[in-house]
Amino acid sequence: MRIIYTDVLVVGGGLAGLRVATGVQERGHRVIVLTLVPPKRSHSAAAQGGMQASLGNCAMGWGDNEDIHFEDTVKGSDWGADQQVVRMFVNTAPKAIRELTHYGVPWNRVRKGKHTAIINAEKVEIEEREEAHGLITARDFGGTKKWRTCYTSDGTGHSMLYAMDNKAHENDVKIHERMEAMSVIHRHGRCYGVVARNLMTGEIVAYIAKATTIATGGYGRIYEVSTNAIICQGTGQAIALETGIATLGNMEAVQFHPTAIVPVGILTTEGCRGDGGILRDVDGYRFMPDYEPEKKELASRDVVSRRMIEHIRKGKGVPSRYGDHLWLDITILGREHIEKNLREVKDICENFLGIDPAEEWIPVRPTQHYSMGGIRTKYTGESQTLKGLYACGEAACWDLHGFNRLGGNSVSETVVSGMLVAEYISDFCDSPQSHIGISTGAIEDFVRIEEEKIRRLLNNDGGEDAYVLRRAMEKIMMEKVGIFRNGRDLQDAVEQLEQLHIRSKNISVFRSKSYAANPALVVAYRTQKMIKIALTVAYGALLRTESRGAHAREDYPMRDDINWLKRTITSWPDPEQTLPTVTYEPIDILEMELPPGWRGYGKRNIIENPDSMIQQAKIDAIRNELLARGADRFAIQKALMPYEHLLPEKYRGRNERLYERFDDEKDEV
Amino acid sequence: MSEPKPRKLKINILRYDPHVVGDEPHIDTFEIEEAPGMTLFIVLNDIREHHDASLKFDFVCRAGICGSCGMLINGKPGLACSTLTSKLPEEINLAPLPFFELIGDLSVYNGKWMRGMNERLETWIHHKEKELRSINRIEEPMDPDLAEEIYELDRCIECGCCVAGCGTIQMNENFVGAVGLNKIARYKLDPRDERTDADYYELIGDENGVFGCMTLLGCEDVCPKKLPLQSKIAYLRRQMVKTGLNENVTKCNCLQHEEKMPEH
Amino acid sequence: MSKLHHSRVPAYLDFTQSLTGLLLALFIVGHIIFEGSILLGPDAMEKMTLFFEGYYLFGERHPIIVTFLAIVISILFVVHAALAVRKIPSTWQQYRTFRNHMRRFGHEDTSLWMVQVVTGFAMFFLGSVHIYMMMVNPEKIGPYLSAQRVVEGWMWPLYLVLLFCVVLHAFIGLYRLALKWGWFEGKNYRRSRKIMKRIMRAAIAVYILIGLASLGTYVSIGLNLENTPVEKAER
Ligand SMILES: Cc1cc2nc3c(=O)[nH]c(=O)nc-3n(C[C@H](O)[C@H](O)[C@H](O)COP(=O)(O)OP(=O)(O)OC[C@H]3O[C@@H](n4cnc5c(N)ncnc54)[C@H](O)[C@@H]3O)c2cc1C
Ligand code: HEM
Ligand code: SF4
Ligand code: SF4
Ligand code: FES
Repeated sequence: MRIIYTDVLVVGGGLAGLRVATGVQERGHRVIVLTLVPPKRSHSAAAQGGMQASLGNCAMGWGDNEDIHFEDTVKGSDWGADQQVVRMFVNTAPKAIRELTHYGVPWNRVRKGKHTAIINAEKVEIEEREEAHGLITARDFGGTKKWRTCYTSDGTGHSMLYAMDNKAHENDVKIHERMEAMSVIHRHGRCYGVVARNLMTGEIVAYIAKATTIATGGYGRIYEVSTNAIICQGTGQAIALETGIATLGNMEAVQFHPTAIVPVGILTTEGCRGDGGILRDVDGYRFMPDYEPEKKELASRDVVSRRMIEHIRKGKGVPSRYGDHLWLDITILGREHIEKNLREVKDICENFLGIDPAEEWIPVRPTQHYSMGGIRTKYTGESQTLKGLYACGEAACWDLHGFNRLGGNSVSETVVSGMLVAEYISDFCDSPQSHIGISTGAIEDFVRIEEEKIRRLLNNDGGEDAYVLRRAMEKIMMEKVGIFRNGRDLQDAVEQLEQLHIRSKNISVFRSKSYAANPALVVAYRTQKMIKIALTVAYGALLRTESRGAHAREDYPMRDDINWLKRTITSWPDPEQTLPTVTYEPIDILEMELPPGWRGYGKRNIIENPDSMIQQAKIDAIRNELLARGADRFAIQKALMPYEHLLPEKYRGRNERLYERFDDEKDEV
Repeated sequence: MSEPKPRKLKINILRYDPHVVGDEPHIDTFEIEEAPGMTLFIVLNDIREHHDASLKFDFVCRAGICGSCGMLINGKPGLACSTLTSKLPEEINLAPLPFFELIGDLSVYNGKWMRGMNERLETWIHHKEKELRSINRIEEPMDPDLAEEIYELDRCIECGCCVAGCGTIQMNENFVGAVGLNKIARYKLDPRDERTDADYYELIGDENGVFGCMTLLGCEDVCPKKLPLQSKIAYLRRQMVKTGLNENVTKCNCLQHEEKMPEH
Repeated sequence: MSKLHHSRVPAYLDFTQSLTGLLLALFIVGHIIFEGSILLGPDAMEKMTLFFEGYYLFGERHPIIVTFLAIVISILFVVHAALAVRKIPSTWQQYRTFRNHMRRFGHEDTSLWMVQVVTGFAMFFLGSVHIYMMMVNPEKIGPYLSAQRVVEGWMWPLYLVLLFCVVLHAFIGLYRLALKWGWFEGKNYRRSRKIMKRIMRAAIAVYILIGLASLGTYVSIGLNLENTPVEKAER
């Protein structure tokens, strides 16, 4: 048996994992990154649209700051987010983008002078400032008041991930590719690493570390059609869940992206609509203004997705052999714009649909896209219940996104949380608590359990076919736990998934019996894990009898701030139980900087909590008083909800902007 | 409505599993009924799910952006996920990308080669001062056109198609390949990278670098991202000859690799 | 000495290889045209020969000029060959890998390189013989002497092969040179490449036709010579 020791273990080589790794390495800790695929192939590379950070360089972003970014994010989350975390995030995002610039990301830049943009399908002339020339520019994205989404054409995630991975090369971070984390090693409520399987040779290895970070991305692949890469299977969340100690948060919060192409589900970026693309129905009619007169195509994702389904249900969809769809029209942007700024979209249309998007409309339909849920953590990224286990990026429920994340906020989250969590982990590793107190014997037990599982799968004859179970699961999730949900379907879904879970214990690997590289074996054990994750999603959705953010119940269309302003916390304490255990974590309105209200788009369907009014009154009073005394926005914010003390010291600084210049000597306004 | 009868595709796959003792390279043939919008991603998964569960291949994004699924498609390197079967003849031959370490069947470990290449060429921004002056301050401006030009070269997805399509590298395994040369062109453009031409000459000024390239243009013709490889390699060649022939080039910054010479 | 750790030699070699290739190719471009003057009749060829021997410049014939030219060309030839030979697969194994790659790939430019290697290799022998003869017997150039050599000296098979080799090699070489150094890239270098390839094909066709025609003319003159004493015909 091979045991590899390190200070920090990072599972996942996407943006989040790599940023944690370089961060702890720079603090002087040894680190190893495990990943299923070479890091540059991680799903982060797929992010096309951009990264949010309130730089305010471009004309349409002028005046932007942390406060506005905060407000947009909290509203986007339908008040599900942890507002302190949001504050930490919005303050660090500009730093993250500047750091990435230093690492080499070729962000698109502001070009001074006039240019035309298409806003709400109309040509608008915009004049960029002279002094902003050459600074990082931004584009419009759904759910934001300002143009805040920084980008590199439409390969933002790609450029970011490459810059990050190159940084990891430079720092000589150890990366173990094609190693799959199979289970978490823990003892007495303390995590000590993972058992991993080499996907090429089949070798099972124990990695032991003071701190372990799970940054394995989302779980979109439990759905039949998803924009996610095929490795986004939620195995990271599953191994945390299987400890019985670590918990998952808000698993039912699953986002659907309005514009994935039909049938394959590949995403066309929100940038298409941000840049002026519009949605049309079977008659070629632009229907969004009827539903959302103000934001139109650019309301937040959950809203646009639901409006599209609503419209399809009215019989306005375009029938096809793959079901009904709508049209995304970007022909109005012109060939030049498409070929320069939306080239990946053009490639996708050509390669997967055989059409030219500068001439033809693109068939689209809302499709599973993002997992707001994940391993529930404290603001430090550490699991609330299992010490030494950290999570960040899409794998985590840090809780930045609540019940709906804004486009552009997630790649931003990966890097920001990576920066912060790296510091908290380093602090932990520097403290005596990080001592590794597990014996070789205990480690061996964990390894043996995994070896045994694999032996069972390979030697079991006449059991279940993993593919059959997986397809059944995908279908259930698609049909019954989709964009619109209702009690009857969810009940069905939970019962059927429970049956699948029970059957999955008896999976056998047919035909292909190799212990080494063996795709059939991989399908088998991942299916077992995925069904559990699917159950947490469906069960959480069934229990949550309200509509919030991306979670839309037809039988409970109201957002219920009295009963449901709380996070769903899921765990699986007993391996024999066939349904997860669900508890709730309250969210206290009286501690909010921005109490619940209307988001400004979507339906106004809220059961209000009286606390919201009380808190709003309190806030108004404080604000007015401070304003009268001439306090600045920082002072006001601090009075409402202090958060700076939570940030690592090096990230507490303010952010310079063209309209908030620093003194030349000091890093202050 | 009567649709034309779908084609029966004949998929011939070159198979070999180095982990199985006694396995020999051989061809397996599968018959698949074509469906509209079918890509090789769909075909291969169908084979794995319904015909042979042991078939090894790699897909991650299945959208032509992660660079995992390069293989020889009727002899030509390309991304399987973004190849529509309708653009291919009825009989389709699939083989792993040559040159890279074989994991099994169609799966190769090109990520490992890329890692080596990146380390050798030090494909990261070399700053004299490693730390930003302040992470809080407004970033350095950059010309908008230049930023776009850099991105143009930054789009490489390290799929390895150019390497598999390069005759030079077949004969000289130490050649950096078009992917490597493109990276140098990318950093050379980038004003944030403070390496000089002399520094770059150290990295690619020999037969394993730009002078090894024989302008066969396999790379240019197969690159799925349509990177301007031909043009950039020519550019580097001009620059590197200039540097090599220029007696005045005496300054070698050798920012990070003063002692550590690149291994060839 | 410079502080370049790396040797400057590779830069020199690459540059020189291309330069010699370019000069040789330009030479061939002219050479075949001059040879082709025979198509306009023996007199035209005669005048051409006289021109190269400096007759119009100095008023008398200096075959030594031709010798000198031949020496320059042979130096270029030798240098070029010596440099280019580095690129030729040096082991059977290498050759086989390349050939397999080429066959599997079915990529035109890759195959064209192989054509260059093979023709270059052939010229190594054929060209050497030809140049050597021009060098030692410069005075024996002229419509009738050349024709005699072609026919009676049994040189025509050699010239036939050499013609194909040199034309293919030179124009493929020029095409590759342009791509290699990025000449004539224009606004859209991909379009330029297509155009250049078309020009290359056309040039190869035209030059082979001219070459064949001239060779045919020599042969026919040479065959007729059997009835005419050479010396008389020449002077
Ligand atoms: C098509 C698409 C477009 C998007 N566009 C945007 C956008 O424009 N803006 C935006 O902000 N966000 C966007 N997102 C979301 C964003 O890309 C992701 O949320 C984010 O990149 C996730 O990064 P990550 O580092 O958390 O995980 P990932 O990048 O998914 O990385 C996960 C890593 O974990 C590894 N891993 C997984 N499981 C295991 C295991 N068991 N053992 C070992 N390793 C494992 C994988 O190999 C991988 O390296 C988009 C998402 C999609 C699907
Ligand atoms: C002994 C005879 C010759 C040999 C062995 C030879 C061999 C070669 C080879 C192998 C190449 C390819 C080099 C590479 O890809 O880098 C080459 C290139 C070239 N050759 Fe020749 N050659 C010979 C004679 C000639 C002659 C007579 C001409 C002129 C007509 C010529 C013109 C060229 C040109 C223009 C190139 C391209 C140069 C470059 O790529 O840098 N060669 N030669
Ligand atoms: S240069 Fe093109 S072919 Fe080569 S690795 Fe990059 S994307 Fe692939
Ligand atoms: S042009 Fe150079 S790098 Fe590209 S295939 Fe040819 S030899 Fe290889
Ligand atoms: S699977 Fe990502 S490029 Fe083909």
